[in-house]
Amino acid sequence: MRTLPLLRWIGLGVALLIAAISFGLGLWQNLPAQQAMFYAAATFAAVAWGWHHYAVRPGEHAAASGGEPSGPRGEVWRRYRAAIIAGGLIIAAFLIASAAMDGFFTWLNIIACLVLVALIFLSVGLSGLIVANRSAFIGLIVLGGLFLLGALKVDGFASGANLKSMLVFASFLGLACVGQTLVALLGGLDLSIPFVIGSANVGLLYIIGLGVPPVIAIILILLLGALVGLINGILSFRLQGQALILTLGIGFAVSGGTQILTSIGSKFAGNVFGQVPDWLKNLAAMNGNTFGLNVPPVILIWGAVAILMILGMKNTVYGRYLYALGGNRTSAARLSISERRYWIGVYTISGAVSALTGALLLGWSGGGFIGVGQPYLFMTLAAVVIGGTSLLGGNGGYGFTVIGVLVLQVLTSFLVGIGLTYEWQQFIFGLLILPMVALYARSPHIRTQI
Amino acid sequence: MSGTVAAPRASASSAYLLVPILLFFVLLIVAVLRSPHLITSAGIGSAVIVAAPLVLATFALMAIAIAGRGSVDLSVGPLIGFINVVLVQLFGADVISAPLEFFATAIGLGLAYQLVMGLIIVFIRVQPIIVSLSGYLALSGINLVIMQRPGGTAPDWMLPWGAGTSIWSPVLALLVIATGAWLLFARTAFFGHLRLMGSDERAAYTAGVHIGIVRIGAHLIAGVYAALAAIAYTALISSGDPTQGTTYTLISVTALVLGGTSLAGGRGGAIGSLLGALNIYLITYVLATFSFGDVQSFVTDLAYGTILVCSLLLTVALPRLQSTLRHVSPLLFFILLFIVAFGVILHATYDYGVPSGAAQAVAPATFLFEDAAPRAAAAMPMLAHPVALATVLLVALLAVLRWAIAQARTRSLSPLVYLVVGAAAVLAVYLLARPAQSDVMAPAVTQGVK
Repeated sequence: MRTLPLLRWIGLGVALLIAAISFGLGLWQNLPAQQAMFYAAATFAAVAWGWHHYAVRPGEHAAASGGEPSGPRGEVWRRYRAAIIAGGLIIAAFLIASAAMDGFFTWLNIIACLVLVALIFLSVGLSGLIVANRSAFIGLIVLGGLFLLGALKVDGFASGANLKSMLVFASFLGLACVGQTLVALLGGLDLSIPFVIGSANVGLLYIIGLGVPPVIAIILILLLGALVGLINGILSFRLQGQALILTLGIGFAVSGGTQILTSIGSKFAGNVFGQVPDWLKNLAAMNGNTFGLNVPPVILIWGAVAILMILGMKNTVYGRYLYALGGNRTSAARLSISERRYWIGVYTISGAVSALTGALLLGWSGGGFIGVGQPYLFMTLAAVVIGGTSLLGGNGGYGFTVIGVLVLQVLTSFLVGIGLTYEWQQFIFGLLILPMVALYARSPHIRTQI
Repeated sequence: MSGTVAAPRASASSAYLLVPILLFFVLLIVAVLRSPHLITSAGIGSAVIVAAPLVLATFALMAIAIAGRGSVDLSVGPLIGFINVVLVQLFGADVISAPLEFFATAIGLGLAYQLVMGLIIVFIRVQPIIVSLSGYLALSGINLVIMQRPGGTAPDWMLPWGAGTSIWSPVLALLVIATGAWLLFARTAFFGHLRLMGSDERAAYTAGVHIGIVRIGAHLIAGVYAALAAIAYTALISSGDPTQGTTYTLISVTALVLGGTSLAGGRGGAIGSLLGALNIYLITYVLATFSFGDVQSFVTDLAYGTILVCSLLLTVALPRLQSTLRHVSPLLFFILLFIVAFGVILHATYDYGVPSGAAQAVAPATFLFEDAAPRAAAAMPMLAHPVALATVLLVALLAVLRWAIAQARTRSLSPLVYLVVGAAAVLAVYLLARPAQSDVMAPAVTQGVK
């Protein structure tokens, strides 16, 4: 059994030797240094893998059957291998970037890199200790790390004005996510949210333009939103597996129908003109104030909704039954919980809250625009998923979604701050979702489900 | 006997085809009545060009949807856009120019992307919808990085592909080959494994199917079809467009559902998806013949949404209709409706177009339904009457044959009864129609010859 580590070290040595030879050859042939480094690294990886595959692994099998307990070093490696690999990759990327770009090797960048690596170790290491609410924990760590990075790299990132603007945008996203979270808790999806937001946005301005008092107009819009949600719920109840696509269809129909209705008799189809009342503007504008306080009311509205949701989900019968239904339909039915009522209920809430978001967005922008909800099409889904609410139902909550929303918002702000454009932000969002979800929402292997 | 067992099962699984078939012919008839231009060489040619990317994208979605776990590949639209802009940019940089290089690059990109997606889903075990969402965001971001705004040119050899002046275009060949390849693929054992895995993954695993390999295979097939869709799309617009992602995803998911593929997995076919995509094209075409002016796109949205929801609801109702529809085979249904549609096409082409000369040929789409009815009645005796008669005869004959065959297995005398009754019906129709036929036939024939 003692031959195994020896074998491993020999393999490592051989691989290093070959890589060094190839590096030297590359330099001798006057290749650029980066290219030679790259080829050397590739050669090293190939040789090491081949050695591991053909020489070490068969030996390992023998060792495993011998029943030798792995030492503490093996234990550490087993637990932290993802973190070690990821941290190594980041450091390697940092070194390559410093070699390739002039002026990259600054103190700030070094600290930022170290923060990233520490973040990964911290989240992986501590998440092993925490079993419940692991996603919230990781989300908070990522949030803190991102904020730290932003404060280091971007001027004025931690200033009051920037915090306020981040919170305003987060409020809109957070309100749009209320319905998505509730629906996801039952294992459904609601893709009609952006269309309802856009329709409410245009429709509210249209109704105000007709001369209806704004307060009544908003109530009317909320009721209409709830009606769309109700239709969503009733129609998708029998088609739960296809709720995604059904709500999408309803969304298309609602946004098309709204635009046709508001275009009748208008010379400029698709554009609605009107005067947004000042108090609605104050509700959502960046410089709005609440009872003299210099805080936009929309942030407080979101805070109130969030507290209500978190407490309500934990402490009311309605909230507990929702979890029961999402967790296991059969056992919930044994408790005589009506699945139909709850399914339709969450969709109705989703429609009403989406309409509210649309109305608030009207106050923010001051003009109706049907496409105002488009960014929320997949963003709500991303926030819910990053927060850690399972799309299969029964696991998660609005508190998690708040973390997801904040992570997305801080990340957006950070990316804007370091000068990345919208398309790069979207690209990074896409790449970020996967590892975040992979950290805590992996489904079990099929062989454990039989 | 294998025949008795297989027949009912075959009709049960393909009963889902009845909805797309019915919708297809209804739309076709309306489209032809609204604008007979559709049934000309140029009309069909342009239909093929416009519909080809959609059909191929639907095939790509279908491969993954059959694999189950609720996987809808949301990233298919951005993937098509990605391959499109990469091809155009590479052509602009003189890296690739020959057709073979184009195809190889496109298919290579599609395969590589879907391979990564498949590996992530199989080994990291994140929910497929999240993986595709992540791919959607990442790709639509990177598309805008590769090409900021629509632009660039397609190579010269591709320009005639997108002309659409004749039925016989390379795009049609592409479409036929792709459909044929799917039909061949549907006969392989691999496809059987795919369907088994889609409808019950645990059963497939315990039956010894390598579900990881099958799932990755489904993704690779989807990659090939997405690449072909990207090539057809490049031919259609003769340039690069990074922004079409969302639209294509939504429309092709709609087409997939219209074609009767189950998003829950396990069910789907090339004919259904083909019809679904053609239905989408026809909806747009029919709506375009009504001139709604500024609200045109809103009406299209409304129609998409409504039709999507209705066809989803129909799939709920279908199992209940199955008992009554058991003896209706989709093929028979298709043939019957085809004959009806053919009659209408002949009627619309010859009876409207030729007799009253140029006035109607110039503006065929101006009449509405109200005044179409009396004109149709006036034009009826010219050619439509014998066609309608022949249709009724054929319908009766086919229906009788079908029922006779269905009843033949019971080994009773009932087939004989059907035959006698059917023969009597045919005879009665013939006798009734003979006087009318003898004096109408002559002008109708000369009309046809002209």
